[in-house]
Amino acid sequence: MTLIRPLSRRGFLNMGAAAGLGLMLPRTGLIQPARAAGPLPAVAEEEAVIAWGYVGPTADEGWTWAHDQGRQAVQNAYPKLKTIYVESVPYSADASRIYRQFVSEGAHMVFANSNYGDFLYDVAARAPEVAFFECDGRSPMDNLGTYYVQHWYPSYVTGVAAGLLSKTGKLGYVASFPVPSVYSGTNAFLMGARSVNPSATVQTIVINSWFDPQAAAQAGTALIDNGCDLLFGIMDEAAYLQVAEQRGAKAVMWNTDIRRYGPNAYVSSIVVDFGAYYVEQVRRRLAGEWTPSQDILPMGQGVDRDAWGQSVPAEVAAQADAARDKILSGWSPFTGEIKDSKGNIRIAAGQTMTETELYNWDWSIEGVSGLDS
Amino acid sequence: MDGGGAMLDEVDVRHRLGLDPGTPPLVALRGVGKVFPGVIANADVHLEVFPGEIHALLGENGAGKSTLMNVLTGIYQPDSGEIVVAGYPRTFSSPQDAIRAGIGMVHQHFKLVQAFTVAENVHLGWDRTPARVGAAMLEARTAELAARLNLAVRPEATVADLSTGEQQRVEILRVLSRDAKVLILDEPTAVLTPGEAQDLFAALRAFVAQGNAVIFISHKLDEVLEIAHRVTVLRAGRNVATRWASDCTERSLAQMMVGREIVLTDMRTRAPGIAGPGAPVLRLEAVALKGVLQDISLEVRAGEVLGVAGVAGNGQRELCQIMTGLAAPTSGRVLLDGADISRAGPGAVATMGVGHIPEDRLASGVAAGLSITENAVLREYRDRPVSRGPWYSPRAALDLARRIAGAAEVVVPDFAMPVRNLSGGNQQRLVARREMRIARRAIVAAYPSRGLDVGAINMMMRYLTELRDQGVAVVLVSEELEELLNLSDRIAVMFHGRIMGIVPAAAADLDDIGLMMGGQRRDRAA
Amino acid sequence: MMGWRLQRLPSAKPRLAFLARAVSVILALLVAGLVTAAAGFHPFDLGAEVVSSSFGSRFGIEDLGLLLTPLIYTGLAVAVGLRIGAWNIGAEGQFNIGAFCAAGVALFVPGPVWMVLPLMVFGGALGGAAWILVPTLARAYADVSELITTLLLNFVALLLVYYVATGPWLDPSGHALATTARLPVAIPEFWGIVHWGFPVAVAMAMALAILFALTRWGYEIRISGSNPGAARYAGIPVRRHLITVMLMSGAIAGLGGVMEVAGTVGRLQGGISNNYGYLGIMVAVLARAAPLGVLASALLMAVILNGGIILQTQGLTTNTVLAVTGLILLFSAIGDELAHYRVIRTTAQRA
Repeated sequence: MTLIRPLSRRGFLNMGAAAGLGLMLPRTGLIQPARAAGPLPAVAEEEAVIAWGYVGPTADEGWTWAHDQGRQAVQNAYPKLKTIYVESVPYSADASRIYRQFVSEGAHMVFANSNYGDFLYDVAARAPEVAFFECDGRSPMDNLGTYYVQHWYPSYVTGVAAGLLSKTGKLGYVASFPVPSVYSGTNAFLMGARSVNPSATVQTIVINSWFDPQAAAQAGTALIDNGCDLLFGIMDEAAYLQVAEQRGAKAVMWNTDIRRYGPNAYVSSIVVDFGAYYVEQVRRRLAGEWTPSQDILPMGQGVDRDAWGQSVPAEVAAQADAARDKILSGWSPFTGEIKDSKGNIRIAAGQTMTETELYNWDWSIEGVSGLDS
Repeated sequence: MDGGGAMLDEVDVRHRLGLDPGTPPLVALRGVGKVFPGVIANADVHLEVFPGEIHALLGENGAGKSTLMNVLTGIYQPDSGEIVVAGYPRTFSSPQDAIRAGIGMVHQHFKLVQAFTVAENVHLGWDRTPARVGAAMLEARTAELAARLNLAVRPEATVADLSTGEQQRVEILRVLSRDAKVLILDEPTAVLTPGEAQDLFAALRAFVAQGNAVIFISHKLDEVLEIAHRVTVLRAGRNVATRWASDCTERSLAQMMVGREIVLTDMRTRAPGIAGPGAPVLRLEAVALKGVLQDISLEVRAGEVLGVAGVAGNGQRELCQIMTGLAAPTSGRVLLDGADISRAGPGAVATMGVGHIPEDRLASGVAAGLSITENAVLREYRDRPVSRGPWYSPRAALDLARRIAGAAEVVVPDFAMPVRNLSGGNQQRLVARREMRIARRAIVAAYPSRGLDVGAINMMMRYLTELRDQGVAVVLVSEELEELLNLSDRIAVMFHGRIMGIVPAAAADLDDIGLMMGGQRRDRAA
Repeated sequence: MMGWRLQRLPSAKPRLAFLARAVSVILALLVAGLVTAAAGFHPFDLGAEVVSSSFGSRFGIEDLGLLLTPLIYTGLAVAVGLRIGAWNIGAEGQFNIGAFCAAGVALFVPGPVWMVLPLMVFGGALGGAAWILVPTLARAYADVSELITTLLLNFVALLLVYYVATGPWLDPSGHALATTARLPVAIPEFWGIVHWGFPVAVAMAMALAILFALTRWGYEIRISGSNPGAARYAGIPVRRHLITVMLMSGAIAGLGGVMEVAGTVGRLQGGISNNYGYLGIMVAVLARAAPLGVLASALLMAVILNGGIILQTQGLTTNTVLAVTGLILLFSAIGDELAHYRVIRTTAQRA
């Protein structure tokens, strides 16, 4: 099966059959049941047009590249349908224009790989016969579903490795915007690190972009200058990995396997794979079964840690993977007591955060600095 | 007067200048002519400038001095005649050619880059400027040049910060640094204080003492007599005479400049039944405009033409502005039919019946890019039928434009076409007719015939007499004495912002007028 | 002997100028077609796609209307300034401030729609006028070129909007979209997604055309713009007109911002002006500062921009589209100049 090759290359373990995705395991993150609207009518494969609006360039070797791999998986699975895409869709009224143009060109499904908010909803509202998806979205509609990944679990797992690898206990984070992805990523990472080094901290620098190699490199340099010896972040490119390589620090990355930019610094990456999910959604649309859902792909089924880097000792990898196994068997590290950065108890002892809470996390835990004002 | 007969004996010239008998002139113009469409700027001009000589070139505005110097410095090519430099005929296709042959000119309007230093300006566009330069090196070179040529300049100063006199020295240094043997100065003292002028004269005398020559263009008779060895007078593009300055007086120079052969056509005499000058219409009482006009008192009567003579730039422009409301006097009053209009503004003054044919038509008389219609209605667009309330009627405007063009006898193929497509003469006729329509009480006509051919000039004069005969007070500013004498009832002569005197045209003595134009006061006011 | 030579006329014949315009647009498209063909695309298919997508569906026409709207406002703003000889390079900034003021009113002034909406419109127009006030006074009283001053204020306005949209006015639920909350008051819809900003813009263009062509005030503005010296000579209050017209220009650009934020986008976000201010300069220049011409050139610009959106779905990048707009402007400039020339037959002059 065509899906296997890219997945295994990026060190997916225990991926399971692609078809298994459709079953949606208990922790699939179905926040709400699908809305009570009838499924959209079936479409013949040869007539179908499926469109993607990408936030970045497909050559970013990051987030958009990963989504485009998903698009190619769809094309391979359904060679007769037509896929179209636009790269670098801006967060502006031009986004609406591009999504409307997809509709004009007869698209039956439109995937947006970032949250375009009203710019997407306004189009969806006027094209009820088209299935829309908003990645990292939070506002489902009768013809608009949302999807994302439970990246906080692999973030926790790499955090455990980071806690073991860091000598200073000071971890750095190159942040895009103060958004839930960043809060849950930094918090999960630090909780993983603190499970092995209770005095670990995370310093963040917000650069207001998902793709700005120069700013990311500057932020990485500043963090290392501040004493951080291990960097994490949520960038669509490899700049801070290269900084870490030059400065003898370590780095955990996002999206894809980009270890060749810093083989010694590379610890792991939060790798994502949307191929199976996209194929399944397209299958439902073609078959006349599609209704909007709100999916958060669980660890192991769309998101995972990457194969460990060459400089990660076996015992560190083993200890982190032990945490991963525990999670996969149903344990949640996000259990109280959890204090926020101001010292208030936000999650009481014994209480476990729900997937919804994790998805919408908008406060920093104690030890994370630079995000809460 | 025969031009050739006025030439001095060359042997005598060399002798009096202390030169060897065989010395060739540094530069000589032989029979130079230059024609522009419709204008003969120069015809058969002869000029010889010898080493050690300061040669003044004298003439009224438009006498052809500037054209002649532009021919000499390669800006224009002569249509006939030749330029001989140190004995050899030369043709210059650019000012650079001329400067290589040792002929450099300092223009009235300096051609310096204001933001650059003196040193940078001196080295700008000079083939001997080294390829790699630094500020210190340029300044050292400039200081060395200045010392050698005996011109006090500050090489490091920015030109914009310099006084006019200093800027002029920089210009002269620029020219002399290129090894000029002949330095042409166009009205150099116009911008100088008397002290600065004396410094300049000293520098010029030192320059010619080294075997160089200066051609000195001026209007100021006293200066010419002070500095020049010889004087050549041009009139209407031709040589009138070349004389030793020591043989001349201000009076004789003025006489040569203004000439005697003016064709007087009496347009002053009214047709039977037309009344002569009546009650005063426009009155200026001790009017002054800061720095430009001083103590001007005059009155213009209904049905009278008052001529204003003088070399351009002596306050005529400002006088016209004061009389038409475009400028307010700093002291004194302007009265129209007894009402004070000193601060009424141009719109109100026009509404009260004062027309104005402005000096620079393209700067203020018309909006060259707009249509003929839009320009034709400039004075009456506020009134019915062009405007009704806030509305502007293009149709009524076109009607009015047609009427004005008809009266001006200008054939307009398309009234929507920009007025700049018309010839200067036709533009002027339209402007004049437009102003005549509103000039119920007075009209101020500044150089109305400037740049026009004979036919158009006659038309212009006819317009003015027409107005006069209707009882309008006419102010005619001109540099053409002929025109003034033919038309004016009285002539006021301006110099340095003052009225030197007002004389009745019928009894005017040309010499007197010439002297007044050169700055000699005459108190026998009429 | 007979010969030929070129003669430059001081002004181009209108018919020739129009022809030159048309030819230059066609040439620009032709060059763009050749380049895309060289890059391996089929220019005719792309062209057909642009035309059918823009005009062939209601979605396409609505998109055009929505793109057209801000271009008309900024185009009119620049054109109005040009009427009196002022280059308002700052329409971009005034547009941003207009959007900023309207968003501020909508977000923080409680009240019924019938009260808040006019307040937004008024506030945005006032904001745009205020943004050009200093350049206006500097030009009117100190003869400081408005080119630089208006341009520089663009950056201030842009950064101000970025600051409030990502800072104090940020709606955290927008996530990656750094915007304010959705404005509770919107410009009502007119036709599909096209809001009332569009018919208002068209009406404004017509009103301005009448104002300039058929009123005494418009005549005075024309004279003042063409030759201030002649205007003063005719007793026209040039300075007062200059101030009025420049403030009007700023207000129109500000109004464009109001319509964009409250009609099209619905939220205030950084970069909401989307270069409409600068494109407005192009629109006004192509229209030769005629208000009705602005409608046509804004439509052309909207088709090009919309074509850019369409071409992106065909695999071309936005840069291609920018290149096409640049080409059109370049060829238009060349065409305008060429329209001044005519070939005349000469007989050799007698020496």
